[in-house]
Amino acid sequence: MSSWLDYTINGLIVGNVYALVAVGLALIFGVSRLINFAQGSIYLVGAYIGWVAVVQLHTPLPLTIVLVAVASAIVGLIIERFGLRPLQNSVRIAPLLATIGISFVLDQLVMLTFSPNPRALPSQLPDVRFQVGGGTIGPLDLLIAGVGLTSAILLFVFLRYSKLGWAVRAASQDRDAAMQMGVDVNRVNQAVFGIAAALGGVSGLLVGMYYNQIDTAMSLQATLKGVVAEVVGGAGNVPGAVIGSLLLGLVESYGVAVFGTSYRNLFAFLLLVVVLVLRPNGLFASARQAPPEPLTGTFIAPSRPVRIPRWALLLAAAVFAVLPFFPVSFYVLQTLINAWLLGMLALSLTLVAGTIGQVSLGHAALLAIGAYTSALLSLTLNVPVGLAIIAGGLMSAALGTVLISPSFRLRGHYVSIATLAIGEIVSLVILNWESVTRGPIGISGIPPLSLFGYELISPTSIYWFSFVVMIALALLQGRLLGSHLGRSFRAIRDDDIAARAYGLSLNRYKSLAFIFGGFAAGVSGGIAAHLYSYINHETFNTQQSILALTVVILGGLGNVVGAILGAVALVGLPEMFRIAAEYRILIYGIVLLLLVRFRPQGLLGTM
Amino acid sequence: MSNIDRRTLVKGSLAAMMAGAAFSRTAFADGEPILLGVSGPLTGPNAQYGTQWKQGFDLALDEIVAAGGINGRKLAYNFEDSQSDPRQSVAIAQKFVSNPAIVMELGDFSSPASMAASPIYQRAGLVQFGFTNSHPDFTKGGDFMWSTSVSQADEQPLLASYAVKRLGLKKLAVLHLNTDWGRTSRDYFVNAAKEYGAEIAVTEGYIAEERDFRSTLVRVRDANPDGLVLISYYSDGALIARQARQVGLKQVICAASSVYSPKFLELGGDAVEDVHVGTRYFPEDPRPEVQKFIAGFKKKYNGLEPDAFNAYAYDAMNMAAAVVRIGGTDRKAIRDAFTKVKDVPSVIFGAATFDVATRRVKGAMNAELVVRKGQFALWDGKPT
Repeated sequence: MSSWLDYTINGLIVGNVYALVAVGLALIFGVSRLINFAQGSIYLVGAYIGWVAVVQLHTPLPLTIVLVAVASAIVGLIIERFGLRPLQNSVRIAPLLATIGISFVLDQLVMLTFSPNPRALPSQLPDVRFQVGGGTIGPLDLLIAGVGLTSAILLFVFLRYSKLGWAVRAASQDRDAAMQMGVDVNRVNQAVFGIAAALGGVSGLLVGMYYNQIDTAMSLQATLKGVVAEVVGGAGNVPGAVIGSLLLGLVESYGVAVFGTSYRNLFAFLLLVVVLVLRPNGLFASARQAPPEPLTGTFIAPSRPVRIPRWALLLAAAVFAVLPFFPVSFYVLQTLINAWLLGMLALSLTLVAGTIGQVSLGHAALLAIGAYTSALLSLTLNVPVGLAIIAGGLMSAALGTVLISPSFRLRGHYVSIATLAIGEIVSLVILNWESVTRGPIGISGIPPLSLFGYELISPTSIYWFSFVVMIALALLQGRLLGSHLGRSFRAIRDDDIAARAYGLSLNRYKSLAFIFGGFAAGVSGGIAAHLYSYINHETFNTQQSILALTVVILGGLGNVVGAILGAVALVGLPEMFRIAAEYRILIYGIVLLLLVRFRPQGLLGTM
Repeated sequence: MSNIDRRTLVKGSLAAMMAGAAFSRTAFADGEPILLGVSGPLTGPNAQYGTQWKQGFDLALDEIVAAGGINGRKLAYNFEDSQSDPRQSVAIAQKFVSNPAIVMELGDFSSPASMAASPIYQRAGLVQFGFTNSHPDFTKGGDFMWSTSVSQADEQPLLASYAVKRLGLKKLAVLHLNTDWGRTSRDYFVNAAKEYGAEIAVTEGYIAEERDFRSTLVRVRDANPDGLVLISYYSDGALIARQARQVGLKQVICAASSVYSPKFLELGGDAVEDVHVGTRYFPEDPRPEVQKFIAGFKKKYNGLEPDAFNAYAYDAMNMAAAVVRIGGTDRKAIRDAFTKVKDVPSVIFGAATFDVATRRVKGAMNAELVVRKGQFALWDGKPT
């Protein structure tokens, strides 16, 4: 029985750690309705500035905290001024992509400056432990709790009772109205980003000291857990973020208690999905609160898509179709195969995210379902590879739609968060369901691609195969978009209330979109499985989902040609920058930022 | 307008790629170095391991070149960053196989990235020398897949023997990374430990990004073991040891050789004192290849202590040199040379010879270390 007390305390301790990141995310979301993917990177920057202060400058703890807070706040202000402010009048989705680009750049800068090796960040507090239940807590636990709670209370008071706080809240409810009332919205944004960044930096420092370890991979995990905690508490709700974090910590701890360590994150993400389904605005959102997203679909603003003449598309397709006849290296072909496979995934995502407005951040799960289905069918039941891939697509369409259906009643950012969680759940189920998926060992010896008994093993034949499949899916999707169905999809995206009033069944159309999209993604995953011959739970990870979304936004939401162009660009760019070795991802991040800055509606525009 | 965008973009990228390929082709002429391809993570979540490889490679290359190179030619490598992402490792594989200057490939780091590229190397007939690939199926990818990764079937019984026979532990809790490596290792360890008469109280698998182990350690405590076994890398191993001591677990801790790194001591601090580590070599090891490696490493990297991954990479480069000495620059002859190399001096194996049937090396060296006063030291047989 005493163990339960220990699990509870441990849950609260780790929830405490999550709260620091979640509060910063909640603050930014509260004002700019933006999930700041760069928050984890500021946390990383804070940790390394702290390391310099502690290990090289030997500053005492209060000075270290001030130093980290100020330096991180400056980074936050720079991000706001140069990364996000230029985008404030553009599509709502552009800032999201910008924060992803900024996080690439910051993470890479830290990695290049400090090397990717983990470092020790010694705690500057005396090493005394207090016995609580069967375990102990130290002064750092108390300091983290203190910082988390104090900052939440201070922010709450600031938002409720200070003039700038009112301005912040006014701006968050209605930016234009606030501006008309004389609120300097830019100053408000600056204040918010400064405070959130300072908090993020200090949390990186404290968490680094807590584990006596900082490394450059810590930023994505911090963002993921912070986002979960924040949304559970009610996005944009600062005290809610603290309670959401503690709840998350508890659920994880009890999950470990009952089922074992490898189920830990499964419970974190299940909690998120359950909360979102039952209380779509988070646990602590009041009923009177204004809806978190505008009622009409300004989330994805329509823009004039670039019209590409039919002959130009035909010509481009013809050029790529005959490319293998020219002396191009297998490396170029393989890179383009990757682009075609990513293109299929992007077609799928651009349909569900762009055309019907369900921005999914868990799309890699559809790849994984298709890949595992196809691999297992061909390996254990000797199903011919071509049929197995189609079965993978069908399975992905069916299972994906069922899994994602709880998110149908959500809107805007909440869809992204729910799908992110569903994606993680799929990956964790693959890891733990060993009797079927073989767990972490993965599936090896997957037969190569073949069609009607002929093995496709030369890069040229794989190139043609994947190109033809992608073009077929693209044509089908183009046809779909031009039909009655496509118009209904767009109607739901642009104004779901009007669409419903007009008699469209939202869930049915959303399911149709996911069925079609799931098939394309599943086929892509199936082909990848046979191409790689080995897959495990890490092959299709969160980074792939983020990459897919980047491709889609870059190409122009809902834009079929844009999705393919985006895939070619985002597969090609990192390969082109290979000459820059360690710097290539940094350059890639900068190019991404510039593209968002100058083409926020995507290269070819929203369709 | 955007039509032009698209075509220029694509054309530009194609031109750049072809230029890259052409460049490496012209660079190949007699007198030029013999080139090895390395596919591994230099950015992304596994970037630290790629940088450690580089350190090990560079040291070995310095020694090889100082000793006159390979039949008068230098040996060099071309490191391509894969981020341990299968999508990029397959593109790199095509790049290497279509570059005639590359005589052999080393890497990748993770199993998904390495094994996704295997079919390409196998079909093109370029050796894929995966020196950290412990996945039992890696060398089953074909006769061009070779590995000097210590087989977990070899390593884990040694660790089990250290824990059970030498330290006298009877009831063990096993914490392992829930990856293909950690899982395979756990199974071999559990089998060996049971065979030596120990009981396995609990096994817990955790994902690589995990940082908080307090609740896991409550489970461990409730299972009431007399020893903890960590099948971990150094960063997570240090975290577990710290948190175990913080929650008041005082049991003996034994860890697999992958924690053997100065970083383990730095990150773990006082908490890793008295942690037992089964390793393949140790600093005071009198074997000449170990002394040469450690002295050379410290000299080249300003007193830095080498770790297990540095040693794997150093050994791999020396093995590659030995193979190229026999096989020359013909790719198939290099494959055949793997069956011929005998007793290559190795930090990990003492003398490495491939078992032609499994394409792996058997018989890793064994050293039983313990952390004493913040340093790895040979265990003196005294209980802790």
